[in-house]
Amino acid sequence: MLTTEQLDLLAAALDEVIPPNPSLGLAGAGSLGMAEHIAGVLARTPELVAVVSSGLDALSAAARQRGAAHFGALPADLRRQLVGEQGFLFLLMFIGYAGYYQHPLVLTALGLEARPPHPQGHSLPPNDASLLDPVRQRGRMYRET
Amino acid sequence: MAEEIVDVLIVGAGASGAAIAWSLADTRMNILCLEQGDWIDPASYPGMSLDWEMGQFGEWAFSPNTRKRREDYPVNDSGSPIAASMFNAVGGSTILYAAHFPRFHPSDFRVRSLDGVADDWPLDYARLAPYYDVNARMMGVSGLAGDPAYPPKEVPLPPLPLGKLGATLAQGFNRLGWHWWPSDSAITSQDYEGRPACINAGTCLTGCSHGAKGSTDITYWPEAVRRGVRLRTRCRVREITVAASGMADGVIYYDGEGRECRQKAHMVIVACNGIGTPRLLLNSRSRLFPDGIANRSGLVGKNLMFHPYAMVTGIFDEPLEGYKGATGCCIMSQEFYETELSRGFVRGYSFEILRGFGPTSTALWGMGAGKVRWGLDHHRDYAELFDRTAGMVIIHEDLPEEHNSVTLDTDLADGNGIPAPKLTYRLSDNSNAMMAHSVARAKEVLAAAGAKDTVAEAPLPFAGWHLMGTARMGLDPKISVVNEWGRCHDVRNLFIVDGSIFVTSAAVNPTNTIQALALYVGDQIKANLATLFD
Repeated sequence: MLTTEQLDLLAAALDEVIPPNPSLGLAGAGSLGMAEHIAGVLARTPELVAVVSSGLDALSAAARQRGAAHFGALPADLRRQLVGEQGFLFLLMFIGYAGYYQHPLVLTALGLEARPPHPQGHSLPPNDASLLDPVRQRGRMYRET
Repeated sequence: MAEEIVDVLIVGAGASGAAIAWSLADTRMNILCLEQGDWIDPASYPGMSLDWEMGQFGEWAFSPNTRKRREDYPVNDSGSPIAASMFNAVGGSTILYAAHFPRFHPSDFRVRSLDGVADDWPLDYARLAPYYDVNARMMGVSGLAGDPAYPPKEVPLPPLPLGKLGATLAQGFNRLGWHWWPSDSAITSQDYEGRPACINAGTCLTGCSHGAKGSTDITYWPEAVRRGVRLRTRCRVREITVAASGMADGVIYYDGEGRECRQKAHMVIVACNGIGTPRLLLNSRSRLFPDGIANRSGLVGKNLMFHPYAMVTGIFDEPLEGYKGATGCCIMSQEFYETELSRGFVRGYSFEILRGFGPTSTALWGMGAGKVRWGLDHHRDYAELFDRTAGMVIIHEDLPEEHNSVTLDTDLADGNGIPAPKLTYRLSDNSNAMMAHSVARAKEVLAAAGAKDTVAEAPLPFAGWHLMGTARMGLDPKISVVNEWGRCHDVRNLFIVDGSIFVTSAAVNPTNTIQALALYVGDQIKANLATLFD
């Protein structure tokens, strides 16, 4: 599993993948807890731990190569550049996106109710039958046999 | 383990197994159904959780190769651009289907006579029509009478709500003067026969916790069991056995503890879908049937038809509330259904409007389509997509070709050591020409509805939902496996009732026709009981 340092780095990286959204009052994905979400996914899919762990180690090494004590000490544009260069970015995006858009705060910010679809469901208005008037006027379309 | 000899043994408790079990129940015969899956608890469907959209990537995925549940068997589909999709449970693939429920058309049974390709069915729409009616009542079909694309038909329940998305697309079709109609759906639009009305949750493809979607575990099976049919789950049939007389005399199966068991029967009915059925028949080898039971024609496993699918997604400026409503059941267009040779291909296709994506699916689809980037552009990209997409799938008629086939894999096997099915399939020139035409028309109608951009994917690699043709029906035993009422030419007490027996595929979802055929076969069995094995 990931170390505490790796989780902190993962959170910082995720804040670059999905940054804060000031217009909706939302923190970035890392600050919203997506590192813990990814850790939970890794606990269920241990075959991915090595990918994420080595990816974080590579990101950390890349930051040190830029002269920073740690990834968070880099300027924002360099943080984004380094994240974009990592091979495990796709995995971060996939799991990070999925977790972020299930988060109750995000759902609420999108104008949705922060609940699963069942058991309440959703309501829809009745159909406008007049929409079909042009189709009804067409007459038989199928081939007789 | 020796078992009693039952009168009727049905293998598979899915769409067709349920229908024929219910049909034969009133004979009071001793009927047993063996199903390798189990009953699904509706409370276990993902729709009760916030992370429900991720269910499609795990144990509720379409493909058994992704799910790897205990009851799944692997499918070698490396030789096909389309991956097989199925679900093993009481209810079969109706557990995960969208319940889009159109009928075939009269012309779909006369493809050779009308269009000079494929073959004619040995029965017609008029013969099946009463069984479509019965099936509509049993499954609880919602829709609207008066569709000019069909002969007159009644529908038990009014159509599902189109919502803003459906109305927007309908206006697009109207602007082009193209056909559209509310979809026939095996989803209750009102309270019906103890089932509640649909609540527009949009979780259909990962199971319906509410009970509105018509899967056969909640439609046919409860009544069949009440009438005395026994259903034994977690029983995986390995082979059908044959007596010296050449008649089927039962099956060998593995029970839930992996023990090898035998079940004797006077009649065997196979309902294992267009991949499972040929797999079972091919694995049932004997001295009398060295190439698999009922396979003297050599056609078991041949003529696999999928329905190549394409998907075109429109991106709109305005919110469409697309996350509300039955996922795959909104409106359907058959503007390009019947053959028009000037289009450059024979036969045709259906448009099936889907609802929009939920919040997670928007992000993941957008990621895959390159429309939701990470980083500084992320939120702007996402805001342009969320609740602003409308999907459309296109179902293309697939013509039967012998080289498209199901065989037994020589290396891959399931948890009981039964050889896995191996698919060999390629798209025809006709399918490719049809797909090019359909995608262009789909973009046209989405633009007419107001879409500012479209994204197309053709063929859809994961869309092997419809499995047909691999034990085809016909009058001539040299070129067919079963007769016009599902009885195997080579084995008089062996019947097949699933999509394997299809002669042609039409360009609509097959479940309604699969079940109508099963009901028809059931009635023919009952009508011929006295002389069935003469």
